[in-house]
Amino acid sequence: MPATTLLEFSGVVRAFGRLRVLGGVSGRVAPGTVLAVTGPNGSGKSTLLKCLAGLLAPDAGRIDYREEGVTLDTATRRRRVGFLSPDLALYEELTVEENLHFFCRLRALPASRGGELRERVGLPATRRCGALSSGMRQRLRWAFALLHRPRLLLLDEPLEHFDAGGVELARDLLGEHLAGGGLAVVANPSRLELPHVADRLELAL
Amino acid sequence: MSRTASSWLSEAAAVFAKEWRCELRTRYALNTVLLFAFTTLVMVSVALGPMGVDSAARATVLPMLLWLILLFAAAAGLPRVFGHEEEKHTATALRLAATPSALFCGKLAFSLTLFAAIEALTAPLFLAMMQLPVAAPGRFLATLVLGGWGLAAASTLVAAIVGQARGQSTLFAVLSFPVLLPLLLLAIEATRAAVGGGGGADSLSRLVLYDAAMTVVSLMLFPAIWNP
Repeated sequence: MPATTLLEFSGVVRAFGRLRVLGGVSGRVAPGTVLAVTGPNGSGKSTLLKCLAGLLAPDAGRIDYREEGVTLDTATRRRRVGFLSPDLALYEELTVEENLHFFCRLRALPASRGGELRERVGLPATRRCGALSSGMRQRLRWAFALLHRPRLLLLDEPLEHFDAGGVELARDLLGEHLAGGGLAVVANPSRLELPHVADRLELAL
Repeated sequence: MSRTASSWLSEAAAVFAKEWRCELRTRYALNTVLLFAFTTLVMVSVALGPMGVDSAARATVLPMLLWLILLFAAAAGLPRVFGHEEEKHTATALRLAATPSALFCGKLAFSLTLFAAIEALTAPLFLAMMQLPVAAPGRFLATLVLGGWGLAAASTLVAAIVGQARGQSTLFAVLSFPVLLPLLLLAIEATRAAVGGGGGADSLSRLVLYDAAMTVVSLMLFPAIWNP
């Protein structure tokens, strides 16, 4: 029986001007599993994740993401995925709580969902994001990615800036996501010890 | 109201509230725009003064100066509406979470209220400093509202386009000039009529058409500009 939620992509090509960053990448992720993407800086890991999220349009290739057996168009996929990246920032002028409430309103979620996740990732409610440490900002990115309970998590360098406690938190959050039938693509320059890695994709320069 | 419509409105309201909250904490656009409007106003009034323009030419020249001040004040602050999202890397989070049309409307509402604040401060000061009587105050107010709407709608759309490019301020000036030129001509004509007390109904109805067209075109184009 085919999986109801599934991510498959094949022959994904993306260039920036004359620089070809992705040259026909393919992969598949099934529920409860992780696709680990590794490769040196500049090998196209972040570009691949942005293409999978619908933030960048691939020049060629096919990206097929299905939920409940239905293939989602790019705009819907963009709003459904949970995305974490070092390039992603939240509003420095707003507090942690205000940021999460703002994104709860955009996603038509109750404000309590923001509070629940803020407590889960261990952030102070009233501190402005501009005054957060790098590790705390990474915790906030995790909260942002998980806010709408996505089935597909796209995580670019998810353990960056984390101390031991942060690494443990990230592993727990990912484990819970996978245990609930979610799927994930995790990109990192080096190989990470992650649960439920079903496949690995090595990108080269 | 259907759940979809109420959630769309809530999204737009959230963007509007976020814009003002961030703006009131940084005061970047407010300070830039108000400082620009005030210094230009003072320069114009010192250079020309109430008697500096021939009385026959006052109703012709002064409305043009008022709209030039408003245009440059808008150009100093409104491009930031989208530019700062790209500069601060918050645009990615918005692209993932917001419906493009609701995002645009929230940003447009912010531009409109910001520009209304500029007009509310600048126009009475200009009239007082230049000792320019207005024969038809209602028509003058309508011109400010309609001209402000068009200026805010066009500037917000152009800001979205240039937000993704480098050299934003130069590009903003180049792109906004042909879009804003018809609006400025109509607004100047309607203001002259309001000051002189005769005619101007044609200009006002054309301003309404410009505003409606610009708002609809912006809503149609924005999703393609905002997302790949």
